[in-house]
Amino acid sequence: MTRGIPDVRATEGRAPDVFSRDGWVPMRSHRDGEDVDFAIVGTGAGGGVMAAKLAEAGFSVVAFDAGPFFRPLADFASEEREQDKLYWTDERISDGRDPIELGSNNSGRAVGGSTVHFQMVALRFRPEWFLARSALGYGRDWPVDWREMWRAYDEVEDALKIAGPVRYPWGPRRGRYPYRPHEVNASGLVLARGAEALGVGWAPCPIATLSAPRGRAPPCVYRGFCKIGCSTNAKQSILNTYIPRALAAGAEVRDLAMVARIETDASGRATGLHYHRGGEWRFQQTRNVVVAGYSIETPRLLLNSAGPAHRHGLANAEGLVGRELMVHVNDAVWGTMEDEIRWYKGPPSMAVTEHWNYEDRKDFHGGYAIMSQGPLPTDFATSMVGNLGAFGMDLRRRMAGYNHMAGLKIVGEVMPDPENRVTLSDETDALGLPVPRITFGYGENDRAIGRHARGFMSEMLRAAGATDLFETTGTAHLMGGCPMGFSPQDSVVDADGRAWSCDNLWICDGSVMPTGGGVNPSLTIMANSARIGHRIRALAARGELARAA
Amino acid sequence: MRPRVPSERSRRAVALTALASVGLVAGAAWVSRRRPPRRRPEGSRAARQVRQGAALLAGSVLADSTMEHYRGGFHNRTMFVAPVSSGLALVSALAPGMMTRRARQAVNAGAVGAGLAGHLFHLRNVLRRPGALSWESMFYAAPLGAPGAMTLAGLAGLAATRLETGQPRGAEALRAGRIGSLGTVAGLLGTTAEVALLHFRGAFHNPMMFAPVILPPLAALAVADAARRPDRARLRLARILLRATAAMGLAGAAFHAWGVHRNMGGWRNWRQNLQVAPPLPAPPSFTGVALAGLGAAHLLEEARR
Repeated sequence: MTRGIPDVRATEGRAPDVFSRDGWVPMRSHRDGEDVDFAIVGTGAGGGVMAAKLAEAGFSVVAFDAGPFFRPLADFASEEREQDKLYWTDERISDGRDPIELGSNNSGRAVGGSTVHFQMVALRFRPEWFLARSALGYGRDWPVDWREMWRAYDEVEDALKIAGPVRYPWGPRRGRYPYRPHEVNASGLVLARGAEALGVGWAPCPIATLSAPRGRAPPCVYRGFCKIGCSTNAKQSILNTYIPRALAAGAEVRDLAMVARIETDASGRATGLHYHRGGEWRFQQTRNVVVAGYSIETPRLLLNSAGPAHRHGLANAEGLVGRELMVHVNDAVWGTMEDEIRWYKGPPSMAVTEHWNYEDRKDFHGGYAIMSQGPLPTDFATSMVGNLGAFGMDLRRRMAGYNHMAGLKIVGEVMPDPENRVTLSDETDALGLPVPRITFGYGENDRAIGRHARGFMSEMLRAAGATDLFETTGTAHLMGGCPMGFSPQDSVVDADGRAWSCDNLWICDGSVMPTGGGVNPSLTIMANSARIGHRIRALAARGELARAA
Repeated sequence: MRPRVPSERSRRAVALTALASVGLVAGAAWVSRRRPPRRRPEGSRAARQVRQGAALLAGSVLADSTMEHYRGGFHNRTMFVAPVSSGLALVSALAPGMMTRRARQAVNAGAVGAGLAGHLFHLRNVLRRPGALSWESMFYAAPLGAPGAMTLAGLAGLAATRLETGQPRGAEALRAGRIGSLGTVAGLLGTTAEVALLHFRGAFHNPMMFAPVILPPLAALAVADAARRPDRARLRLARILLRATAAMGLAGAAFHAWGVHRNMGGWRNWRQNLQVAPPLPAPPSFTGVALAGLGAAHLLEEARR
């Protein structure tokens, strides 16, 4: 593929073989008029897992993705700007007290979604977080038992062959990670030294890149370009794990297919999808719709799918679609080490401390995980320009110390707030679809987390021997927007991911998360999607599901 | 288009693994076949086998330590000791005529000492890292067990030097055979421990990775049993298992060569992959220990006459 507009690849009975430079695998194909069992919108952490689970259960599945179908070996360059092609950079309006910077670390536009460029951090939710309201006194409860989620974590960790520590220091005992931990890089050892000096635990971070061969994927070679797309396939993204599984099980994947609207009939049930592919508008009939477009595109699609029985947008009878959007506080502290660190070597986050996720003696709700960092040069320079206003000689001087830099960054929990939300603006994009408006503002607790974390990380870095410390702030990830809950009055979908007001509409992405937790969300999204997949299978077995003839 | 279901293992890998397994079994059967008893002085044969074992061990250490210490950039000068010491031990085992007996004894005693010191250097490296004696350090810091192979090479070299002076008979052969067996048992178990750690690090992603943690302890048991009561059946079992272990050591190198191919770039990228993939010279150290063990078994056999 060259720069510019990529080609539709998954078509005419074949899809790219992601383990090759130019090969293909066969793909079952459906006609638009064919009434498939499931049409899935999005093929990332939520949709990709769902496509595999449903296809393996014997359902006919068509999965749509707005992005291209890449072959990492041939399509990914070791160049930061070129790899911007992995982000969702369509026009969006971001406002509120603390407008979110949208793009790299909270979106993805490719088959495989944002997992193609995620940081691979694979942490589980703390069990108590599923009862955040009743056990810890903040946020919302999940309508799901933590043990059910932990079984689902087991499943997806094995599917991604997560390389994690032999013993994980926090939380209840868990089974062994499928693969052993990687060698922690110098940047991770800075975190380790800081943690040991302050008397808090640390561990090699469980990450989704191979520490031993797996099938046609080689083990990680520690190039460090993980965040802009791994070009060796060592990274276990949805693109090279669940998507090949889905295809082999008979799912069809349609790349470069932007779903604009879900059609509903007079009774309020979904009947099909209007989508744009190959320069024309098309319509796919389906018995069930699963939406997995993440926290902006999922609400956007529902809000844009008003029908005779859904006046204010699909599944939006209570006006909850788009609300309780969350991010993660992504504040960081950076410093200079005397030794060479060369933090670009290896995956960016190889060491973690979840101390403040599991320690409850603190003056704020929620928690945060601290991870070691290894930003690539352009990324780091950009963050210094944005946060410090560094420029010219000053920026150059700072970047000259790049090989001696170390940093710590948090993934900090943000409280759900109904006023943080996605709505549709009056503006339209190139396809004529309403541009989403994202309104966000931190609450007092969110700010307290950032303050606490920056103070603690500064102590850690100093204890590890860093000097010339400076702080940056930011956000990462998105969660919420279509929360799952206990009743139609408090949520958009039930514990099965099924919309309260549309019984053949399901949501299985990060937007259903009622709380964000203090860990990277990808593993939780995958686990929740796998769990919902099992539930759909169980419902079908009981005859409580519409199926194609 | 050929339908291709994604699988955890490529078909070639499965086929080659199967082939290798069949080869192992067939090889084991071949080496353990019944043969008419040969009338040969067992003592000289023992000396030869112990020396071959010493050579293999020293060669394995030379190649492995050179590669690994090169990978570590020889950042500490003492890291040169391992290849130099094992190199000298290799020469003394392969070409004993090049050195005086005293020199050979000194070289092999040096290898024993260097191996023991190596444990301490590696331990120091581990303890200096965050996490100290954690799994992470055991996996990736200087390997605690590895210098043991050099100690074994030195011990086997010393034993070979001792045996070449004359052929022990009767009670003396029994004593020598028992000491040799003890060394063999320790060598087999120590090597197994290290392989278990490293194959665990590799998550036993290929089932054949279990072979070197199952077979050598069985051989060690049989050797210990035969040393305790060296009757014909026990010695026979010990020999079969030692020969199988020796064959497995060689097969292991082939498996590791396959492992190189499974890394990014495969053999075309050999300059990197020889360093990061499973070490080619490591498995033959099993062969070395097993050969020395066979030498000990011959001594026990001699004592029985």
